[in-house]
Amino acid sequence: MSLSIQPYSAEQPVNPYLDVDLYDPDADLMVLNLGPQHPSTHGVFRVKLILDGEVIVKAIGYPGYLHRGVEKLCEKLNYSNIKAIIDKNDYISPMINEQAVNMAFEKLAGVEVPRRALWLRSLLAEFQRIASHLIALGTFGLDVGGALGGGASAFMYCFRDREMILDVFEELSGCRFHYNTHCVGGNRHDVPAGWDRMVLPALEVIEARLDELVDMMVNNQVFVDRTQGVGVIPKNLALGLGLTGPNGRASGIDCDLRRDAPYNAYGEVEVRPAVRSAGDCQARFLCRVDEIRESARLARLFLAGLPEGPISGTKPNKGPTSVKIKEGRCYVGLSTPRGELGTYLIAGGNKGLSPYRLKIRPPSLHHLASIPYILPGNNLSDAIAILGSLDPVMGEADR
Amino acid sequence: MTTAEKVAALTGTEVQELETEFVVAPEHHFALAELLQSEGYTFYITVAATHFAGEVPNKKNPEGSPETFQVATVLRKPEPGASSFACWRVELAAGEPIDSLVPLFEGADWQGREQFDLVGVVFKNHPDLRRLMMPEDWEGHPLRRDYAIETAHPPWR
Amino acid sequence: MTDIMDQLLNHPLGRGVLLGGVLVGLMMGVGAFSTYLERKFAGRIQNRLGPTIVGPFGLFQVIADGIKMLRKEIIIPRAADPVLFLLAPIVAVTLTLASAAVIPFAEGMEPVVTSVGLLWLLAFSGLLVFPVWWAGWASNNKYALFGSMRAVAQGVSYEIPLVMAALVPVILAGSLDFGAIVAAQKGGAWFIWSNPVGAIAFIIFFLASLAEANRIPFDIPEAESELIAGPSVEYTGILWGMFPLAEYIHTFIASAVASLMFFGGWLGPGPDGLHWMALKTGALYLAVYWLRWSLVRFRSDQLMRFCWHWLVPISLALIVIATLWVHAGFGGSA
Repeated sequence: MSLSIQPYSAEQPVNPYLDVDLYDPDADLMVLNLGPQHPSTHGVFRVKLILDGEVIVKAIGYPGYLHRGVEKLCEKLNYSNIKAIIDKNDYISPMINEQAVNMAFEKLAGVEVPRRALWLRSLLAEFQRIASHLIALGTFGLDVGGALGGGASAFMYCFRDREMILDVFEELSGCRFHYNTHCVGGNRHDVPAGWDRMVLPALEVIEARLDELVDMMVNNQVFVDRTQGVGVIPKNLALGLGLTGPNGRASGIDCDLRRDAPYNAYGEVEVRPAVRSAGDCQARFLCRVDEIRESARLARLFLAGLPEGPISGTKPNKGPTSVKIKEGRCYVGLSTPRGELGTYLIAGGNKGLSPYRLKIRPPSLHHLASIPYILPGNNLSDAIAILGSLDPVMGEADR
Repeated sequence: MTTAEKVAALTGTEVQELETEFVVAPEHHFALAELLQSEGYTFYITVAATHFAGEVPNKKNPEGSPETFQVATVLRKPEPGASSFACWRVELAAGEPIDSLVPLFEGADWQGREQFDLVGVVFKNHPDLRRLMMPEDWEGHPLRRDYAIETAHPPWR
Repeated sequence: MTDIMDQLLNHPLGRGVLLGGVLVGLMMGVGAFSTYLERKFAGRIQNRLGPTIVGPFGLFQVIADGIKMLRKEIIIPRAADPVLFLLAPIVAVTLTLASAAVIPFAEGMEPVVTSVGLLWLLAFSGLLVFPVWWAGWASNNKYALFGSMRAVAQGVSYEIPLVMAALVPVILAGSLDFGAIVAAQKGGAWFIWSNPVGAIAFIIFFLASLAEANRIPFDIPEAESELIAGPSVEYTGILWGMFPLAEYIHTFIASAVASLMFFGGWLGPGPDGLHWMALKTGALYLAVYWLRWSLVRFRSDQLMRFCWHWLVPISLALIVIATLWVHAGFGGSA
């Protein structure tokens, strides 16, 4: 058996457009369709794997099974309606998705957002980041450990902790999942009385239990064997592919929009993003662990420093539902748990009531675009671990 | 010489600030991306194509207007402490192709395919220009202005 | 009355029918009850409750599951090989039960009396690779084929350290008979601590039998997250149910054999008997669950490397040390 395919490295890059007929005429290649109905593709993602034994020779990704035409729909909806469907894009962190489109709308409409709303948004974003990363860690455990094994235990622990954050959100907005709590020019729900008595213990418990999770997963030799040096994405490839968020930072890209291009209230606090250089599955996992700790710290800061004042300023607009933007175009990026969620907006459609074009830059699609590069040369089992470590959300990638 | 001045020299357009979208002629598109990459804008962020349906001559617009496309590209400078991005657009006539950035940025592959799929902009020198989101046998490009949502598309509807 | 019983038990056929019936019943019970036990145990590990609704403490969940399994439609894929497809799970359960026939759960209570009990057991559990391979091949499914390929590779490789680790107590006791092996551990001289190699041999034996039974962290043939369920992916209803049944019984037998060979079987402080055997087997059986619900799984090549680079050389060395130990006059073979 010839194993001329090696995993991606800077010296020996993988050709994602490899003609398999030229690979090795004698090899018995096998085509394996991973997905769209597969428990470990995190949704309905399909990878066509061409295998030589158990080694992947070529990987072809097929997203689009969850394509719902959100961008087309946004051209028909009012600005205030859009955030409610953007919620459903990245269904693991809906809170931040609402903020992304709202930021673009506010920038073009010239709406001044009150300071309290900015701090509240940052606070909610950090909670959402913890919840989202907990899911990422748990499902990665599921990917390497199996649905009937230690991975499932890690998954259960993570979901138990995430429940506390959902409780916190429910107390604030009445919803556990698709909050619809941001509007153009501010927020809809103010902090309820005694909220901090619920929030602070939850943060403490999550941090304490995170140490247990690290003990169970990261300090476990089997886990280390499965993740260390697997699916390495060199920095240059990560830059070219546009790998943002923990995936990019695990490859050594020291860039976090919260610190480098501050929005909301991030300019007023010090953000210390977790950066690692290994670029393998373990680094991506550890980056997320570190980010949970950092987010818990930031959330405490934002909660303690939450300024007084109104949470919604509707100055140039009569009400939050009557946003009208005649013209203009902008690109706005913010940092979700997955990476840079960009919104490219051309205003002026539907007599100024809807966007003319709303393009969402989904970080997950960029992460998935890396699989033709990093899967070849790896074992079939590693393909699952790599896919899981990228933490894609198909709702966002396919839109 | 600042980056903005270099960009202005290359493209022959007034560029004050790279973060405010500026217009570039199609022939300068690839060279501009190359310049920006060497200037530190190494982070591939996104590409967004937009379709502008033409108008037949009418009362408001007696001349009528042709069908055009605009392709906006965003690159980011990943500098710790002060990250900024560059955003420019290329205006294309109907059917005119645009240079693909795949030789510079691997990420332009899928992003280009997505815009080709949904808007119908053709990318030159793209190694693998296929539909990304819609089924392979889909007809039409959904994000065009003249593409009706209500139209049925058998067998998908 | 006792005379008839004695006569029956002394006749090989009568003994086989009588004790064999008991054994099959016991093993089926173990297999079925294990599902409940495992779900409860896993639930406790994961801060859940496990089954609670059906019957007291959810105990009748086993019956409900059984009825559900039996009533489900048996689907044979059109492209499958129907004979092998049907045969594979049946043979898997049969072989597992046959391998249990030589296990004495108390002194002299084995259905088949033979002086080479261990050999019998290893032979039958070694054959278990075949039904898994048939299942994967007959399903005509790529995932199943991958699973069965891995199962064969893993089964054949881990057979070697398994047998060699099992030879250590055989050398120490000087017999292949379980009765003699247990007898050699009389007086608290269990093989796990009565000699320098027992503990390591036990660990290797236990790991290898986990691998043989496809238990996490060695369950790469099943690998739900990669191969969905490996060889059993196309099976439905009770045909599918036979695979986990065989797996549970296999794990139980491995625990029983480990407690016979390293922990003195039915011997114990205080009165000897069935209760000690049940206790030790149960403890080892729960340890398997404990491992399963707290570890992630290996990759197939790491699994092979672990076997050939570590387990095989170490078990070879153990045999040599055990032989020298016995030769020096410390052995219990008398």
